[in-house]
Amino acid sequence: MSYLRDLVSARELLFNLAQREIRGKYKRTALGQLWSLANPIAAIIIYTFVFSFIFQIDAPVGDPSGVDNYALFLVCGLLPWLFFSRVLGQGVEVIVGNSGLIQKVYFPRIVLPISLTSAIFFSWLFEMAVLIVALLIVQAFAVVAFVPLVLLFMVVLAVFSSGVAMVASIVNVYFRDFFYLVSIALQFWFYLTPILYPVSLVQAQSDKLGGILGTPVTIIDLYRLNPMETFIEIFRNLLYDNRLPDLSSVLIALGWAAIAACAGFILFARKEKELAELL
Amino acid sequence: MTELAVEVRDVWKKFRLYHERNQSLKSAFMRGRTSRHEDFWALQGISLDVEKGTTHGLIGRNGSGKSTLLKCLAKIYWPTRGEISYNGTLASLLEVGSGFHLELSGRENIYLNGSILGMSRKAIDKKFDEIVDFSGIERFLDQPVKNYSSGMYVRLGFSIAINVEPDILVVDEVLSVGDAEFQEKSIKKFAEFKEQGRTIIVVSHSMALMDELCDRITWIDGGQLKETGSSSAVIARYLKDQRSL
Repeated sequence: MSYLRDLVSARELLFNLAQREIRGKYKRTALGQLWSLANPIAAIIIYTFVFSFIFQIDAPVGDPSGVDNYALFLVCGLLPWLFFSRVLGQGVEVIVGNSGLIQKVYFPRIVLPISLTSAIFFSWLFEMAVLIVALLIVQAFAVVAFVPLVLLFMVVLAVFSSGVAMVASIVNVYFRDFFYLVSIALQFWFYLTPILYPVSLVQAQSDKLGGILGTPVTIIDLYRLNPMETFIEIFRNLLYDNRLPDLSSVLIALGWAAIAACAGFILFARKEKELAELL
Repeated sequence: MTELAVEVRDVWKKFRLYHERNQSLKSAFMRGRTSRHEDFWALQGISLDVEKGTTHGLIGRNGSGKSTLLKCLAKIYWPTRGEISYNGTLASLLEVGSGFHLELSGRENIYLNGSILGMSRKAIDKKFDEIVDFSGIERFLDQPVKNYSSGMYVRLGFSIAINVEPDILVVDEVLSVGDAEFQEKSIKKFAEFKEQGRTIIVVSHSMALMDELCDRITWIDGGQLKETGSSSAVIARYLKDQRSL
């Protein structure tokens, strides 16, 4: 608990470190913050070309929004995913990468992953704002009503992501291989999450196969264990379909966020004093 | 009875010297959980009182454990056994400009570094002019710090740290940087610091500087406290011991 108090007293540091991250990142570039849109836009163009134009995957029609557009279907899932993968991919290095600071100054170490998450969150906000404008252009006006809920779940996903990143950053102190492992795991994870394709395709395959090896467990049961599947579903419900997500999905998402945040927090509270000498 | 700023009670610090370390997953799998190491006690039962409003020096040969003790005092390492208690706020300056962001301007870095050292935004606003003044970099305030000369870099870092105004300041070998004029200024600032009833704990290899700065000095050798006393007496004995080697 006293660790929580330390964290609260370091909120200004947290804010300043996040600001450092944001300001320092696009310094001396002509386009500045606009660069944070470049990656998602490139990904949208590539995936839409490959999956919609060449493989002819049909995007499901938004219910009740009536939106029928693969690029928008994709981006509603892609932006939350990119946020998560950036937080985890960069977060895994946040302790080792700041070893200079950790070995020279005392401050609650947990501000490092949290400020990193905040900085990435800031870019994400920017991307999501552009997405909502795009949705308005294709006349999904109902999305406006869902903006507060979208914001709320963005925060929930941020809590989940930073918790995972905290655990990963500590593991990486002990095993430096972990960084490389995470970057490969993220690739698998991306394709195992319904970003490029709708869940209904997985459902269809699962129904065809039935229980795995004679057990009642089906592929879709395993598939849904992925927390990111739940988060993506919630964001698609809100943004693409313009309806409320299932209560069960909401509870699962909140549960994952709580577990990840507690695990990260407890790990930091325990290991924080040793970090300087482990580096 | 004078008031104590820092109380060090029977502090031990153990490091593990690894012969084979499982720092990759492969080695962990291949060898199981065994990693061979031997314990090294860098500090062996140090007890020390630092009175409020004094400047206390730590001296000793390389590898004697004085830097480990300083890092324990700065809360960067935590004692394996024993306890350190503080009476007041603490700031440490083990390396100037740690935490500077090279692409950001001097102005932005003052706010960033100040908050790393534990200052609030308001406190930095209030101290801003003084920090800039002391560092003497006002002309380059809006330049990115990567364009600073090493002297400017150090001066800015030092000015921020000294203006945090903690009750207890822990300083490593940082005074030896900067030119003579800046050193003079820094020593004056330390004196001011002391008059305000603040406490400084400092490490340096420059005995002349230590003699000038410190009221009391602790000599550490082989992780143990050799002696504590008035600075000139301890320095004299330390130098004699050094020469006899």
